[in-house]
Amino acid sequence: MAGKEVEVRFKVFRFNPKTDFAPRWQEYRVNVDRSTTVLDALLKIKEEQDPTLAIRYSCRQAVCGSCGMMINDKQMLACFTRVLELNSNVVKVAPLKNYRVIKDLVTDFGEVFQKERQVKPYIIRHDVEELLNPTGTYKQKEEELLGYIQFADCIECGMCSSACPVSATDPLYLGPMVLNRAYRFIADPRDLGFEQRLEAIDSEHGCWRCHFAASCSAVCPKGVDPAKAIQLLRRALVKRAVLGISSSKVSELIPMPHIKGKLELPKGWQ
Amino acid sequence: MRESKRMFLHYVSGIIILITGFVHLVSNNVPGIGTAIHESALYPANLIVLLSALLYHMLNGVRVILMELIPGRCAAKAITWIVFLVGIALYIYGLQVFLNLFWPMG
Ligand code: SF4
Ligand code: SF4
Ligand code: FES
Repeated sequence: MAGKEVEVRFKVFRFNPKTDFAPRWQEYRVNVDRSTTVLDALLKIKEEQDPTLAIRYSCRQAVCGSCGMMINDKQMLACFTRVLELNSNVVKVAPLKNYRVIKDLVTDFGEVFQKERQVKPYIIRHDVEELLNPTGTYKQKEEELLGYIQFADCIECGMCSSACPVSATDPLYLGPMVLNRAYRFIADPRDLGFEQRLEAIDSEHGCWRCHFAASCSAVCPKGVDPAKAIQLLRRALVKRAVLGISSSKVSELIPMPHIKGKLELPKGWQ
Repeated sequence: MRESKRMFLHYVSGIIILITGFVHLVSNNVPGIGTAIHESALYPANLIVLLSALLYHMLNGVRVILMELIPGRCAAKAITWIVFLVGIALYIYGLQVFLNLFWPMG
């Protein structure tokens, strides 16, 4: 049993840009116990009191990054925040700042994913044939893995970009989520795409616009520290610009005789 | 020029301002070594370097602020060019003031 129930007031942001002239706050009362998360409470509201409330969620375990919202004015994952942990009888729930509202608590990530495409968030290599028909595995030293593993933990919840003051004033700024993503691949020893990402990251709206107040890192639910990724990105760019040292490394291919054969793509993927 | 080079120069110019500013203060206020600097060619040379670094650092800072306040890709390019041209004009004016001060004609 999860223990005794307490009644908590939820003030929820409601807005449908298609029909409403302005947003409004709607109040609901929900009984919660110590295991109830904010997402559970919102789903309870949706099931028992108001089916018109729009929420986005999927995994319910801080993995998919869908349920980021402003909870008592701070960026948090609704599925990862217990209501009673907030120590408040009133819980204010609003959509993430710095994003367009689609409806109620659901925000539009289209723009940020468009920016993400500019930094090519995938391993770039010249040996495409090897990628399609692998004959071995790329060697990675432990310290090389440690150089990017923290930044690879990002679940793309977008909360860092919502907390970023520069993203709030400059809509073209790539933002911490996208810049962290760029650094994650640049620091990967298997990646050779540093030069291809320069146009986006080393532009007027790239990593140099960061003020390094680290509001982004403060709200990250995964301890990724995107502000640090941005500083490391700057270091890599200065090394390249001043000393001509490009951050791309070539990781050695270790042949593995048991890995052979063509990569079978599912039917209809060709 | 890529943003990394512009920002690297921004940081370097900041350090140059500290050094040349210090030399300028010493030459104007410290008897002995200061007076010696004041009377040598180092004094105008230091001032010219200080002016260059100060103008670059200041105008690049203004450019960054304006780019954040006025979003848009075209706006960023326009701001960079306007600030660059203003910088050139101010630099020429500053050099001319120094010329009149240190090497007056006639
Ligand atoms: S860096 Fe953290 S806050 Fe930003 S998108 Fe990734 S997981 Fe979310
Ligand atoms: S450290 Fe940089 S990216 Fe992070 S919130 Fe501050 S300005 Fe934004
Ligand atoms: S529902 Fe997946 S992170 Fe919250």
